[in-house]
Amino acid sequence: MLLLVAAFSIYGEDLPPVAQWIPADAPIMVEVSEPMALLGPLLSPEFGKSVTTELENGKANLKLQEFQGVVAAVELQLGTDWRTGVRRLAGRGLSFCVDPSGATLLVADGEDEKLLSKLNEIIWQFASSGANQQDQPETEDSREHRGVKTWKLGTNEVHALLGPRLVLVNRMSFLHKVLDLRADAGGKTLASSALFKAARDAVGKEAVASVFLNLRTLRETPGLKKALEEDGNPVTALLLSDTKAALRSASWFALGVYVSSEKLILKTYTDGTAPESARWTSFSTPPEASAGLLPPLTVPGTIASLSLYRDLHSFYAAKNTLFPERTSGLIFFENMMGIFFSGIDLTEGVLGEVRPDIRVVVAKQQYDPAVGTPATQMPALAAVLRLKDPQRFGETVEEAWQKAIGLANFTRGQQALPGLIIDKANQDGVKYTFSYYRPPADKSSGAIDARYNYRPSLARPGDYVILSSTDALARDLIDAVKKAPSTPAKTSPAANSLMEIEGPALSAILQANREPMVRKNMVDKGDSREKAESDIQMLLLALGHLDHATFTLRRDASRPQAQLEIRFK
Amino acid sequence: MRPDLNDPAWAWAPFQPDAARPWDLRLAAHLYRRAAFGGTWPELQRALSDGPQATIDKLVNPKPGAADFDRLYDDYENAAAASSGYGSQAWWLRRMIESPQPLQEQLTLFWHNHFGISNVHVKHNASLFRHAHVLRQRGMGSFEALLDAVLAQPAVWICLGARDNGRRSLSESAVRILMEQYALGPGQCSDSDVREGARALSGWIVTQGELRFVPGEYDAAPKKILGQEGDFDRKALVRILANHPATGHWLAQKLVRWFISDTAKASESLLAPLAKQLTGDGSTAKGVEILLRSNLFFSAEAYRQKVRSPVELALGIIRPLEGRTGTVRLAADLAGLGQELYEPPTLQGWAGGLAWINPLTTLGRMRLAEALLAESGTYEGKLDPGAVVSRHGQTTKDGGRQFLAELYLQGDLAAETLAAVAVAPSTTGSTAARSADPRQIAAHLASLPEFQLA
Amino acid sequence: MKGSMHISRRDFFKETAGATSLLAFGSSIPAFLARSASAVEAGQASRESVLVVIQLSGGNDGLNTVVPYQDDAYHRSRPTLRIGPEQALKLDSSLGLHPAMPAFRKLYQEGRLSIIQGVGYPRSSRDHDAAMEDWHTGVLREQVLPGARTGWLGRAVDTACDPGKTDLRGVFVGEIKAPFSMHTERVVVPSIKSLEEWLPTGASWSDSTRAHDSDPLPSASTGSSFLLAGVRRATANARLIQPRLIAASHALHSQNLAAYPPFPLAENLATVAQLIRADLGIRIYFVELGGGGIGGFDTHANQAANHGALLRELAESTSAFVDDLNHDRLLDSVLVMTFSEFGRTLSESGRRGTNHGAAAPMFMIGGRVKGGLWGAHPSLTDIEEDAPKFHTDFRRVYATVLERWLKLKSEKILAPGFAPLDGVLA
Repeated sequence: MLLLVAAFSIYGEDLPPVAQWIPADAPIMVEVSEPMALLGPLLSPEFGKSVTTELENGKANLKLQEFQGVVAAVELQLGTDWRTGVRRLAGRGLSFCVDPSGATLLVADGEDEKLLSKLNEIIWQFASSGANQQDQPETEDSREHRGVKTWKLGTNEVHALLGPRLVLVNRMSFLHKVLDLRADAGGKTLASSALFKAARDAVGKEAVASVFLNLRTLRETPGLKKALEEDGNPVTALLLSDTKAALRSASWFALGVYVSSEKLILKTYTDGTAPESARWTSFSTPPEASAGLLPPLTVPGTIASLSLYRDLHSFYAAKNTLFPERTSGLIFFENMMGIFFSGIDLTEGVLGEVRPDIRVVVAKQQYDPAVGTPATQMPALAAVLRLKDPQRFGETVEEAWQKAIGLANFTRGQQALPGLIIDKANQDGVKYTFSYYRPPADKSSGAIDARYNYRPSLARPGDYVILSSTDALARDLIDAVKKAPSTPAKTSPAANSLMEIEGPALSAILQANREPMVRKNMVDKGDSREKAESDIQMLLLALGHLDHATFTLRRDASRPQAQLEIRFK
Repeated sequence: MRPDLNDPAWAWAPFQPDAARPWDLRLAAHLYRRAAFGGTWPELQRALSDGPQATIDKLVNPKPGAADFDRLYDDYENAAAASSGYGSQAWWLRRMIESPQPLQEQLTLFWHNHFGISNVHVKHNASLFRHAHVLRQRGMGSFEALLDAVLAQPAVWICLGARDNGRRSLSESAVRILMEQYALGPGQCSDSDVREGARALSGWIVTQGELRFVPGEYDAAPKKILGQEGDFDRKALVRILANHPATGHWLAQKLVRWFISDTAKASESLLAPLAKQLTGDGSTAKGVEILLRSNLFFSAEAYRQKVRSPVELALGIIRPLEGRTGTVRLAADLAGLGQELYEPPTLQGWAGGLAWINPLTTLGRMRLAEALLAESGTYEGKLDPGAVVSRHGQTTKDGGRQFLAELYLQGDLAAETLAAVAVAPSTTGSTAARSADPRQIAAHLASLPEFQLA
Repeated sequence: MKGSMHISRRDFFKETAGATSLLAFGSSIPAFLARSASAVEAGQASRESVLVVIQLSGGNDGLNTVVPYQDDAYHRSRPTLRIGPEQALKLDSSLGLHPAMPAFRKLYQEGRLSIIQGVGYPRSSRDHDAAMEDWHTGVLREQVLPGARTGWLGRAVDTACDPGKTDLRGVFVGEIKAPFSMHTERVVVPSIKSLEEWLPTGASWSDSTRAHDSDPLPSASTGSSFLLAGVRRATANARLIQPRLIAASHALHSQNLAAYPPFPLAENLATVAQLIRADLGIRIYFVELGGGGIGGFDTHANQAANHGALLRELAESTSAFVDDLNHDRLLDSVLVMTFSEFGRTLSESGRRGTNHGAAAPMFMIGGRVKGGLWGAHPSLTDIEEDAPKFHTDFRRVYATVLERWLKLKSEKILAPGFAPLDGVLA
């Protein structure tokens, strides 16, 4: 194990902000200024109770047991329970930094010097026993740098003596740089860099934690570069192209974490801009007059609900500049739409008829007892659009939908697969069309096929069009739109995307699909069944604490901003 | 006994180790490679003390819990067959790694290769899986039962062209393939035999992915096939084919090619005793058992005389390390090296031998070995040679170099070659740096030409 | 420095005792084996011929690719899609190229582009899967069982690879699953998405195994060392080409790609160019445009912009490829051939697109083509089911390429009876 530990005696010295010791070119800086506020939920008795219940659950959850073992060992060594330990070791701040060469640094500002010293000893013992295992000679090498004692063990390891600030680095040269900046005044530190200051100001003082990324440097890393490029995928282009465009031109990116009442709030900031007139942005910019989004729709069993402002007409009209590469998927899509809409021009004649208010709902579905529950349970999914002229265009949509079902049936028939039967029904005065697969002839023949997850439906209440994967969701949405207001909720600055997630419902659907997820884990990662189960269980345990999450995308003076609000149970 | 390849009695007699051909690590590993895709160190050590015949007993006899394992994995494969992607293949590869009865998986792969049914033509995962399931269930029993079950599979009929021909069922060229390639061997049927065989198979059509019998289409008049005359239907045709002496001979040839050597040509008289075992209701498992126990199997004619297929290469790296890895990615990588499970290139199966090898696939194999053994990356470092080295009490000072060479190659490499394993080229003329990382050593060993032979 | 890597190569393919006999039907001995180092350094183009096939997936509209811009029937039948004399890039007084293909017109004027007109086959299929299978296998579906089918290029590769040897003769370069044309019975045709993913990344070890090529295993096996010698040869060969491939990959990304337009087809062709330069003995390369399956050329609706974009990608990518090869005087040994599974209908579909048709032109590009138009443009008044009729069977084009270019006997690869065309290759 390679761990470089260095520290210095700074009795009586006031601890300056860590950023004053970090070189200005560090691309990544994470600061947790109030660790206790952040860890609050984890320290609550309820959480502890749920963990113990889980452990007693008899399911022998490996990961949790391991973690429990480590905590117990550290508690024993430090002579304190882990909650107090965390406070005393890092209660005044925790910082993590990466330098351009990839070296990492961790700083813990604690309340208790002695405890930090003890922790340091434990690290040293651990490191030297690791060295023993690998038959590496123990060479203690104590040096001084700028008046501070640093210890090196073997090739890369150091143990040390500490004050209230513990500094761990994995490369000696990085540590030297940090110590130089501490000793000399006026050096080029992160704290003095304009980008960092701007990010700091944007995040504000109320943040309990913040992340800073220097995009000028990071932009060239292959992974990030690829992620920010336009890859020709129309869906991601529709949803995220303005954000990606802004980040491509940005110098810095910051994330602030705030705690308020029982909510955790994450907000992003950047200096990158996405001008409203740009082809990447214009279709997701609400005009002033009707600024804002329609409130997301909720139905019984909602897992997630989205509300978007996207002008599909201007999006597709810019197709030549947005997608210069003609993928076969795009052409196939145009062919199909040409068939369904009998040759009406896709951009003007079809997408031009749709208002920019788009809402999507994902909900748990109830299965028809005559059929049974499929092995893999897919949630129901529906899109709710609004037409500009439902009288004229409504029946065109109906015809197109029926053609789509017909084509799907034809294709399935060619492969000897069963097809959908179309029928009509009435919900509260609204006639809607739905389709279904006939129940299986032989019900005892094992697992129910996945196709029974789908009962595609189309409903047109008023000027709305509801395209749903199940008829039950279509009915629920008919009720929901009748009750919901049609004037947008004002959000300021104007948001263009909003998503709400219901924690319990999300947990439930994942629980229902536990077995398929475990199997997939087994074969993807080559894990044993026990490990796969324990991994999935950990995921479900973590998700189980989520009550509600809200995600928003907005633009603040041409700068995209994302916000995630999480409420825990 | 002196080795004499012209003497069938010698060839098939059970192997008795002697001074000239002792029972050592090499032969034990050879046995495990051919019968179980590779042996772990404890397995090899146990084999050394048990002796060859007792070890073969273990490999051949059904293990307790094997049936439960099969049922469980059938469930997994069934569920995976519903979706697209490499799921079904991934589960089969995992099965090959984990099975308490790897010889059964070897034989399933053998039959998969023999019948050559590919999903490229069937285009339906569930049908392919059902076919593979039949190969596994019936593959160890009598060939007649196997052929009967195979000819009840719509996947087989689709590959033979039934879907294209509608009610005319199979063309004569399809029937010839069925009779010769599947059973009798090339050149055994006259045109009239094939015509009559086609009549015996009439009435079977593939509709909606199922094989159905339409009595109105069946030609019931008596047929004369391969010297026999009677009211032969599909079942009767299978019986005639399975009991024909040429079939035993053809299967014997194929089994020798699979289990003994890629290149050796066995004469008809040499194969005769094995052929007899495989005709009629003799079980294939018994035939394979005779083969594994034989002098021929342990002779120089068989030792390192096969080129590892991509599947054998991967399993030969994985199994000795007593570990397991993610197989979805592995299925894709093996397809890239030329062996996509459930998609043999033609009804003849994979050609094998040096056909697996060209400069690019050689580099690809090295890359696969590297990826499987790397600490991180696509295979997530799940295989841990260092742990295996220390688990068996070997020194780690040189990275377990000697031990890994024994585990992977049983010393089948020149001393200079072993000394040069995982040694960085010396740049300044000073002594070259020898890597002490077991992962790097194992990866280099698996990249050597010697390792490409099974 | 853009260019080939001149490594002097000695003949390290030693014949071994016990090597099996070569196949009887006239496979050519790879010339590069016999070529001496000095000939390579003198830059002589005594290389073996290389074929690069570009599949256009979806059914390319031949009538808007090679445009009969004066024809009344053409203009009457295509109210929204027609290309008139002002827009067509004129090849002669009656035919021109689609306006998105100035790069091809330039090749035509340089005599490097031959256009074979009216290619199809009797009772041709208008279904994507069936028609593509016909073009891929080179035989009609009734003639071969599904389980016995192979690709015509796969059969060519099998023919060009002597059994018992471990040569690499064919590759597919692209992201999709390799099209069936390259499906072999015996040897492995690698699919290359990128050169990097075929190269081991670990430290390169000093390799002392080469010195002991012919040593048997020390286990004193008296068995044949034929297989061992074979894999040793292949490993030695692989170790030799590894640095070449690394350099090729590096050069591709640092400089070569800059000379190519930013299209996926261009990147694939640039990779092919690097592989040709590396002189590995590969004779057949296959690339694809349109995404495979029901591909991008299947323009039933809104054809104008989509088809134009694809033709531009084809023309500019291929033209850059030609320039790249020409720069290193490799063009004379390379022939590029394009094909699609069918042409399209004369009339429009009513959705500003066209439907599945039959006959269409094929492009042949290289340093040794005769240049010009081959065969008459099919009549637009004597049509069949709204599509022009073929006059040249595509298997004759295949035979031309097999016999006259790759020097392989076509009768074993295609059925007998398809005579090569005269006047396509110089």
